[in-house]
Amino acid sequence: MRYLLISILFLIQTSCALQMTKDWKRSEPTKEYVENSYFSELTADYVYKAKITVYGHKFGGILIVKKLVEEEHRVVFTTEFGNKLFDFSYQKNTFKKNFIVEDLDKKMIVNTLQKDFKLLISEKIMVEEQYDLEHEIVLKTCDDKRSNFYFINKKTHTLDKIVNTSKSKQKVEVLYKEVEGGMANNIWINHQNINLQIELKKFAKK
Amino acid sequence: MRKHIFIILLFIVSISVEAQETEMSPSEIKTFRAQITEVSENTKSITADFIQYKHLDFLTSDIETSGNMAFKAPNWVKWEYTDPYVYSVIFKEDQLLINDGGTKSNIKMGSSKLFKKLNNLIINSVTGDMFDDESFEVSYYSTPDYNKVIFVSTDKKLAKMIAVFELQFDKNDGAVLEVKMIEPSQDYTRIVFSNRVVNSKISDAVFTN
Repeated sequence: MRYLLISILFLIQTSCALQMTKDWKRSEPTKEYVENSYFSELTADYVYKAKITVYGHKFGGILIVKKLVEEEHRVVFTTEFGNKLFDFSYQKNTFKKNFIVEDLDKKMIVNTLQKDFKLLISEKIMVEEQYDLEHEIVLKTCDDKRSNFYFINKKTHTLDKIVNTSKSKQKVEVLYKEVEGGMANNIWINHQNINLQIELKKFAKK
Repeated sequence: MRKHIFIILLFIVSISVEAQETEMSPSEIKTFRAQITEVSENTKSITADFIQYKHLDFLTSDIETSGNMAFKAPNWVKWEYTDPYVYSVIFKEDQLLINDGGTKSNIKMGSSKLFKKLNNLIINSVTGDMFDDESFEVSYYSTPDYNKVIFVSTDKKLAKMIAVFELQFDKNDGAVLEVKMIEPSQDYTRIVFSNRVVNSKISDAVFTN
């Protein structure tokens, strides 16, 4: 009976633990902060064509991100015709909804969007743990009740991926592709707990 | 002395602004509206290129996208962006046919009144014939170069998205030169047309996805 209890407890514990880090080798953190500089230039207007798939429905738009001053970003999403769908301000740890169309103004949608874009624009985050993988250094940071894992490519030293997790599950994955001159030309945001994918493609320079 | 020069300068500036844009008289409005109605009735098709400028106050420069449009009477419109991305939308009866860089989808407008309204506005603004729409207060201006009509949204839902529409018309042929959609925040979208061709033959196949 006791063995049964112990094995059940063991099963629960292992199934609750985060599968991703199971075989990872932890190392001493070499950095105090992880830096994500993809939206950090004050002079840049970051403009991306967006394709969103939510539960099989597809729609497009334009994502605009601007860093106004240190620790302050504006994030606006419009249709291709330029009509605003939402307009958010992030200042340090405060979030303000300047505008959102009625159809999208639902708590769950606003929360999801707010967190996704917060993850994209957060620039300097305290490192909690570090892992040494074959091709990447992974830096774990604390995000409220969740964690973020930043994957830094050992060869190129660029940030390739962020994985947002709860204690036991992966929730969101952000992939940075076609990185050149400190800009990510392609960004994919994949939600694992809800059926939502966002694909961002940077406007080509004229 | 300096003060006087300043006042004189201010006076000259205000005169020149006044001279540029004057409100039309009732008889001018009547003539102008008759011109647009006639043009609209005689327009069987339009093709044109456009440049769209999205102005957001916090940005360093406006976001520029461009492409072409086709209109076939009574109410088919194809709007196609070709730079910096390929995206087209066809307004056809009660449907939107979208092709987002190869990803095709259809949207039925059935349920959303606001959606329908916005789409009708886009269709009507191509020919400029939206004076009888009850959701606007309309005012008319003329300048030496063009006529300008300002539509202020009185529909509360619409006004939250677009507070004011401004249309610029060619003085001679009544063609729409420019559409400006101004949001309550004063950010705006400005669409400038060029290379306009009227009443050329356009195949129905253009309006399929």
